[in-house]
Amino acid sequence: MSVLSGNGPHDDANTALEIDDLTVAYNSKPAIWDIDLRVPEGVLMAVIGPNGAGKSTLIKAALKLIPRAAGTVQFYGQPYEHVRGLVGYVPQRGSVDWDFPTTVLDVVSMGLYGRLGWIRRPGQSERESALHALEQVGMQDFADRQISQLSGGQQQRTFLARALVQDARIYLMDEPFAAVDAVTERAIITIMRELRARGKTVVVVHHDLQTAPEYFDWVTLLNVEIVATGPIATTFTPENLRRTYGGRVAYLQEGQQIAGLEKE
Amino acid sequence: MFQLEEFIIQFLLNFVAREDLNAFLRNPQHTATIVGSLIAVSGALLGTFLLLRGMSLTSDAISHTVLLGIVVAFILMGSLFGQHPDLSSGWLIVGAAAAGVATVLLTELIYRSGLVKQDAALGLAFPLLFAIAVILVSRVVSDVHLDEDAVMVGEIGVAWANTNSHCLSGCESVTITPDDPRAEMTRQCTNCRNLGISPRDDKAEFTTICTNCGDYSPAQAWQAGFTRQEPVLVFWPKSITVMAVMTLLTLLAIVLFYKELKLSTFDPTLAAALGFRPTLLHYGLMVLVSLVAVGAFDAVGSILVVAFFIIPPAAAYLLTDRLPRMLLYSSLIGAAGAYSGYDLARGNLLGVVHLSDILAAFNNLFGLGLSEQWDSSISASMVLMTFLFFLAAWVFSPKYGLVSTMLRRRNQRRSFDDQVVLGHIHRHQGRAAESDELTASTLYRHFRWSPAKMERTLRQLAARNLVQIEADQVSLTDHGETHAHQFRQTQLTNESVGELST
Repeated sequence: MSVLSGNGPHDDANTALEIDDLTVAYNSKPAIWDIDLRVPEGVLMAVIGPNGAGKSTLIKAALKLIPRAAGTVQFYGQPYEHVRGLVGYVPQRGSVDWDFPTTVLDVVSMGLYGRLGWIRRPGQSERESALHALEQVGMQDFADRQISQLSGGQQQRTFLARALVQDARIYLMDEPFAAVDAVTERAIITIMRELRARGKTVVVVHHDLQTAPEYFDWVTLLNVEIVATGPIATTFTPENLRRTYGGRVAYLQEGQQIAGLEKE
Repeated sequence: MFQLEEFIIQFLLNFVAREDLNAFLRNPQHTATIVGSLIAVSGALLGTFLLLRGMSLTSDAISHTVLLGIVVAFILMGSLFGQHPDLSSGWLIVGAAAAGVATVLLTELIYRSGLVKQDAALGLAFPLLFAIAVILVSRVVSDVHLDEDAVMVGEIGVAWANTNSHCLSGCESVTITPDDPRAEMTRQCTNCRNLGISPRDDKAEFTTICTNCGDYSPAQAWQAGFTRQEPVLVFWPKSITVMAVMTLLTLLAIVLFYKELKLSTFDPTLAAALGFRPTLLHYGLMVLVSLVAVGAFDAVGSILVVAFFIIPPAAAYLLTDRLPRMLLYSSLIGAAGAYSGYDLARGNLLGVVHLSDILAAFNNLFGLGLSEQWDSSISASMVLMTFLFFLAAWVFSPKYGLVSTMLRRRNQRRSFDDQVVLGHIHRHQGRAAESDELTASTLYRHFRWSPAKMERTLRQLAARNLVQIEADQVSLTDHGETHAHQFRQTQLTNESVGELST
């Protein structure tokens, strides 16, 4: 609860996201339990843990998309409602209906709706921002494509472009690497590194243990409770992983196989 | 509402003479078509969002439960203010909107318990509210005009007759009081009904009442013979105003909040994250659905309303993959259905087929004594026509229709067959077993195809200069060689490589 002692901008200048005593429950079964987490500004952080560990729940609860049972969440020392514009969110791509009658460019423009506010419509400058974001993810040729024609990887890049266009300070991404092709995976990691180079903070729900040390510089190991959090070099240890996954070695081997395939 | 009608009439009188306007509105077809089209357009616009949200049937639920809102508002107004409002009254509309929201709230409450699935929750909530409404109608509001026919199919055919009269000149309102010489006084037994006695009974008590006292509008005063000079009147059907207001509200809401509705429909999570209150938008949409449903209730009945919400958007969904166009197309389809539906009710199918001719032909052929007069339910015919348009879209839509889908699949299958044969030749050319594997007349056996299919495929490949057949031996041309090679490169590798080349 250290934030309560200092709300001034200087105290929190280095903290992008601070979570205190956060608990979320679905029908009295805790999904995440008493989470204390501090994400320093400018890191590229993976949230790693087994299925049902509450990784997505953590992100959704931080954004108040699901009710919190207890706890506080602050972005740059402020509650989320005050700093929506600073936070970019990439939901799981399976969360929407890709048969919706609209174009790739239109979906990307939706990232700008928060800045536009109620009633105002996107115009030419929004269109250009959206096109620029599509260029960044290598999708500029798909701008006028109907979204149902996209492959899974292209859908994910569209979502990423939609977050990029928000020009946020911290990005929360829910499994952006889930079931995407190698090209998309490379495109996403390149963009994440660019974001970090520009001083942005990126929090990513991640599944692949094998690529984690290569992609990220910070990690939070989660299994309902926080197991460990910190720089990946000192935190992503076999001991911590065993504590996170409870000795489910099969998962580690599966990860190895995936990594082996990709090297081909 | 009344002032609004006045305003519209004054506006219209700049263009048409009063007699023509009255004659136009007195034509049942005109009023029915206008009301039907307004219902269809507002239903189609809202229905588009309902369809995309996967909650089309909510409109069915709401179109029933608005009856509860109407009845409750009716009872409250009767007991609180002693008024008997009709459907154009603001309070009934408020009541209907509240009932619509209550339906959705109740459904959500049942669903949130986690014990009942979504569709069942809806099916639990709305019959309950509708049943309460029906009981209230039959027990409490005995004198209200809400018969089964009205609930089933509405009264769009007689909408022209239920008018407000607007007086332009020679307007003389009359108020008759009991001491007016024109007042008609009569004795009435006050306790006969309660005691179950005849007025001749000794215990009967009497009071004197006035049977024709009250306020008379200029039109009523003229009709009752209280005034000498005929007022200049315009008779304006009430349901046109009601539906016009509902349609305008719908249009306004969709134009203003298009972006918000689109976002919260496509991705409610992002809408919430960006601070757009998807729940508020959801209930706003439900209020609009209730408003249109209550307006439509009077005209087409509570059962058929749902067709105006679902069929046009379902048709438009097959015709386009852009939301603005889907809104436009579904409105047009709805309006066209309403327009041509009126004709169908009179036996005229799109001006092409006259059903009375068919009936006459049947009578001639089989000696049936069927009436050749075709006069069926207008609202049901409107639904039927709208469905016909949907059917046309379903079968013939250039992109998503049955025909184009079937053709596309057949083409894909054929072109795949071509590739299979090409690939086979490519693989076996120059091998030891060549002569057997590449004999044109027996090749079909290797594929377990019919000889005809193989012959057709080879003929097409030869025509495209991909294969040549010499002495019953098939071989690839240079062109065919390149083609088969390219196919292997692009199609028989995984998605990621395929994407690299795009």
